[in-house]
Amino acid sequence: MTRLSLIPIAVAAVGLSLAGCGSPSTPSAGPSETTETSSAATPSATLPVGAPNTETVITVTISGGVVTPTNAEEQAVVGQPIVLEVNSDAPDSIHVHSVPAHTFDVAARPDQRFEFTVDVPGQVDVELHDLNRTIVTLTVRPR
Amino acid sequence: MTQATETVLAHGVGGSTDLPIPLNYALVGGVWALILTFAVVAVAWRTPKFDPAKPGRALPGWVTVAVDSPILRGVVATVALVGTVWVGVAAIWGPQNADSALPGAFYVLLWVGLVAVSVLVGPIWRVVSPVRTVWRLLRRERAENGTRGYPPRLGYWPAAVGLFAFVWLELASPDPGSLTAIKIWLLVYAVAMFIGAAAFGTRWFARADPFEVYSVTVSRLAPFRRNHQTGRIVIGNPLDQLPTMPVRPGTVAVTAVLLGSTAFDSFSQSKGFRNFVDRNGAAVPLLGDSGGASVLRTAALLFFVVAVGVSFWAAARATGGVTREQRRELPGRLAHSLIPIVVGYIFAHYLSYLVERGQETVVRLADPLARGWNLLGLDSGDVVYVLSMNPALLWTIKVACVVIGHVVAVIAAHDQALRVIPVGHQLTGQLAMMLVMVAYTLTGLYLLFGG
Repeated sequence: MTRLSLIPIAVAAVGLSLAGCGSPSTPSAGPSETTETSSAATPSATLPVGAPNTETVITVTISGGVVTPTNAEEQAVVGQPIVLEVNSDAPDSIHVHSVPAHTFDVAARPDQRFEFTVDVPGQVDVELHDLNRTIVTLTVRPR
Repeated sequence: MTQATETVLAHGVGGSTDLPIPLNYALVGGVWALILTFAVVAVAWRTPKFDPAKPGRALPGWVTVAVDSPILRGVVATVALVGTVWVGVAAIWGPQNADSALPGAFYVLLWVGLVAVSVLVGPIWRVVSPVRTVWRLLRRERAENGTRGYPPRLGYWPAAVGLFAFVWLELASPDPGSLTAIKIWLLVYAVAMFIGAAAFGTRWFARADPFEVYSVTVSRLAPFRRNHQTGRIVIGNPLDQLPTMPVRPGTVAVTAVLLGSTAFDSFSQSKGFRNFVDRNGAAVPLLGDSGGASVLRTAALLFFVVAVGVSFWAAARATGGVTREQRRELPGRLAHSLIPIVVGYIFAHYLSYLVERGQETVVRLADPLARGWNLLGLDSGDVVYVLSMNPALLWTIKVACVVIGHVVAVIAAHDQALRVIPVGHQLTGQLAMMLVMVAYTLTGLYLLFGG
């Protein structure tokens, strides 16, 4: 892997002028392919039957003013469902800092299920608002 | 401003952050930085090459006429002022939640966009600065006789403080996304600018306006400059212009704030640091959980800035054969060589923000009051996530920016060392500086890799 990636770096190091740092080159793939997955929070039943299951499931417990886990790290894939299974003893809200963004209202009861997808690759923080904690950072990779 | 507080957003603008660069990209970048550094030192030229007095290639006369035209400058300043008012209207009467255009305009378009434009065309803030424009309108009739003149020993220190105040709000304050906090910051900024200008005249803007000093600093890398003998605008090697960075008290502090804060931004997103802040934030007395967390982040931010400043200062002084007086001047005389590292790292770090959050912000500004105006036909579907969708491209750009910035810095430092370090000490005298620059770059790559 290391050797393969030498080539683009070498090309870039030679080819990019200083000003080139400020101006990105043309993309190789258009962004239009994201729009088909933009229907956020669709149930997993819409996935084609037999498709590889890359669902990411995170179990979250909120109890006595403490959330578990915090600052966890999980992998996820663009367009694939991400599920938060939440048990809580207090109302709160969960903010997913992705593109598109999601907000879920947490009620004071067990077995709540929030499902969403992320359209744009990146590191996505999932935050619990009232307790002011980051539950998990999702590393969302392209498909 | 009375609604419930917004949630804490990364950099105050929300959305996701870049994927970390893979290890092999970081390693390849690091190896290139090392090889090229030693190449520069080993095969180096022995007489200084770069000279701000070089004439450059003169651009057509109309360029100089246009740049110097009071009418054109007035038009540009007016457009910038209208843009500022536009953002102000969106901030005050627009949506008061995460849909507000203010954080994006403040943290992305202003902070990162200013660097991009200044690196390309020169110190633009001097022309577009809204505080300068308003001041000119207010003071049109009165000459500046009542002012005391700016004390030279202050140098750029007020701007360094202002820059730190900006990065503190973005990276260490309790809630960087708080519209109220941003508005208070801007109000304090405007008041400080006007009071200072009333006391010291317009030189205050040149020394104390954080955005102007930021713009002037990075503009030393612009390909365009003015030939001071002919007055013509010329195009030339940025390395010839780089040493024109004014050496004043606080010059090193300005670059240390810029580089240290960008490194802290990467570091503060690491799991280890977040856990540390979460566990110990409540232990800080009197301030509560989020206040305590802010104190810890502030201390860490300050540590990064001081570490950069002190290491650079010490490395610049680490040479033999100079008098005490000359040694004291060395950090300032070498400070310009840090600018390429700063610019390279800022682009590596914030380029996707500028391109993608920048587009989101422009879309929001096209509908400042959230009434569905969609001026210029812009809506959120138009945002193209060109860099995030192509991680390999983004990683390549990031590593290239860091490595190129590093190499340009090393070249500039070597060339300046030939001027300021006496013969016989030139090779050993720049060793510490080269090692410090390598350390900055490897640390930067490590942080982009994600620790």
